[in-house]
Amino acid sequence: MPDNNSHNSTDKQIETDGGVAGQPGQSHRNTDYLSAEINLLNPSTPFMRDHLRVIWTGFIAWLVLVFGPVFATIVSPGVMTSPIPVIEFPLHYFLVAFCAPSGALVLSAWYARKRDQLDAKYGIDHSEPTGTAGSAEDATATDGGVDQ
Amino acid sequence: MTGTGTLLQSGLLPQGMDVSFKLAPAVLVLGMLAVFLLIGFVFRVADTEDMWVAGRSIGNIENGMAIGANWMSAASYLGMAALIALSGFYGLAFVVGWTTGYFILLIFMAAQMRRFGKYTAPDFVGDRFNSDTARGIAAVTAFLIAFVYAIGQARGMALVGLYIFGDIGFAGLSGYQAMVIVMMTITVLYLTLSGMMGATKNMAVQYVILIGAFLAGMYVVGWTQGYSTVLPQIEYGMLISELGTEFSEPFATASPYLWIATCFSLVVGTCGLPHVLVRFYTVENERTARWSTVTGLFFILLLYLGAPAYTAFGVRMFDVNPNTATTYAAEGGMSAATADVLVVVAAQFANLPQWFVGFVAAGGIAAAIATTAGLFITGSSAVSHDIYVNLINEDATQRQQILVGRLGIVALGVLTTLAALDPAAPIGALVSYAFSLAGTVLFPMFFLGLWWENTNRQGALAGMLTGLTIWFIPMINEVLPTYIGNGEPYVAALAQWLPAIGSALIGVPVVFAVTIIVSVMTDEPSLETKKMVRQCHSPEPMGQQQSAEDVVTDGGEPLDD
Repeated sequence: MPDNNSHNSTDKQIETDGGVAGQPGQSHRNTDYLSAEINLLNPSTPFMRDHLRVIWTGFIAWLVLVFGPVFATIVSPGVMTSPIPVIEFPLHYFLVAFCAPSGALVLSAWYARKRDQLDAKYGIDHSEPTGTAGSAEDATATDGGVDQ
Repeated sequence: MTGTGTLLQSGLLPQGMDVSFKLAPAVLVLGMLAVFLLIGFVFRVADTEDMWVAGRSIGNIENGMAIGANWMSAASYLGMAALIALSGFYGLAFVVGWTTGYFILLIFMAAQMRRFGKYTAPDFVGDRFNSDTARGIAAVTAFLIAFVYAIGQARGMALVGLYIFGDIGFAGLSGYQAMVIVMMTITVLYLTLSGMMGATKNMAVQYVILIGAFLAGMYVVGWTQGYSTVLPQIEYGMLISELGTEFSEPFATASPYLWIATCFSLVVGTCGLPHVLVRFYTVENERTARWSTVTGLFFILLLYLGAPAYTAFGVRMFDVNPNTATTYAAEGGMSAATADVLVVVAAQFANLPQWFVGFVAAGGIAAAIATTAGLFITGSSAVSHDIYVNLINEDATQRQQILVGRLGIVALGVLTTLAALDPAAPIGALVSYAFSLAGTVLFPMFFLGLWWENTNRQGALAGMLTGLTIWFIPMINEVLPTYIGNGEPYVAALAQWLPAIGSALIGVPVVFAVTIIVSVMTDEPSLETKKMVRQCHSPEPMGQQQSAEDVVTDGGEPLDD
């Protein structure tokens, strides 16, 4: 396959994914996920690479959101405890009591949406589960046989 | 808190709270409990699949509500206001830890756990690490978590019960102690009847009651007292300057280290709690697991963004009330028991009608019962499913399993009741000990088990035992002195750097290191195990009733040990 490391083409892929998946979809079909190592730092499939990029981006944003204001308050208490105009909150109190929890909600929705977009990009549909326990064989068949 | 009976009783009678029998609130609460029993009966369990994972049939909104109700216990409804009132800025570590942890759970674990697709947290540990010993340790941990966590719930229910039913002390017990027994009996009765299916259906109802009662209390108190109008979550900022400097001054009551340790512990605890995890086993598929985490967090925030506001209102009324105000609440004027029912007392101070205060109190009871339900179900499934079926009697019939499960619930109920008669700490602290335990012992197993396929049995065993040890040391150092000693920690420096409430900050890195080092030094896990991990992350959709093990073993044969 030609190089397909560009992730700028997500929209196009979604549009053309009507049964004939785009390149991510094809690479998804050609990937045997049961033979690809799970490594948090070194993803081994295109899907995992995309997924981990979302995860780490979210994680760093979360770290800043949750612990940033506290460290800032330790470093410069004067600035952080000064009141915010109009709402009169001390800055540190507002960032911690209001912004951190609501920010986590925004991040969560962002992640869930990103993950849905990844599914779309790779032509994966969760809306129709592959059935009940009886379909175990189908799932295994798509990976080209387990014993490799 | 104190160790002697008389002091304990005075300490456990909240200042300024009207302790007497009140008809309207009593009818309201009894009616609510009757509805729970009815729903539990209608959706009572017929088989173990329903008993433990509600048939894996729960959808996004319903599971979001269940996540909310399951999550928001007396610790959220009552305990958080207490922490913010008494500890000021440090109390916010709980607001942050108990909400933002869901994001970590979402990005690293929720969908993967659903794909793993078993029944309980010990199931994951036992199957992932191919070890019955690991399963046993995880089951004991899950049971211990349910027990420690539930003590706080019993304390909360009893304190609120005092407002509604008054001092009904019998058989030489104080009013508080009698109320613990009454409330726990009702909870156990309801749970043994309903199981997870009933409990999950109830959780949606309980969520609506608890959030309705909390928001009604907050809005009405804020409105009638002139503190707020439409957005109390923001408007209380204008009140902060009047509440005494301790309310908002950073690190006035706790060091930055303790703040961070507590917050970290609560975050990883969120990701390690078995009763939280099991919510992802009850949903239809992994996408529902993800979105219901988002929905759940939204439902949780409805309470958590309001809690500091409600607290500020309560503290302000406490400070200006001539009956209670001696010093600022945040500067030692308010007792721990008062703070634990501040949400109810605030409504009473605002001179709201008795039935309305009763409604707010009923919300607290709904919160406590919903969480206790989740805890006891996971605690008893650890006994019945993980210990009894997997380790003792592999041929157990469904009937036997459900019987042992119900006995487990009763055992937990009795233990919790006994411990709650003389609790060592306020609600929020009691619950936090359970978070430290879940974060230190189970979170590293879940995280490494899902994200590093080379984690093996030996590593997991070494890690969990290390985690349990690290959790027990500060518990002995800080909690035992309440019963044996003068109430102060035996070793002050240890309490400073390894606080029981935030021991996971030290515990998690150590357990990670031990697990990884031991895993590296011993044999890699089998290919089947690795494939099971890979299946948890694969984007391929799975069947509703399918587990990762089903997929990799081509038809559901159990793995070799």
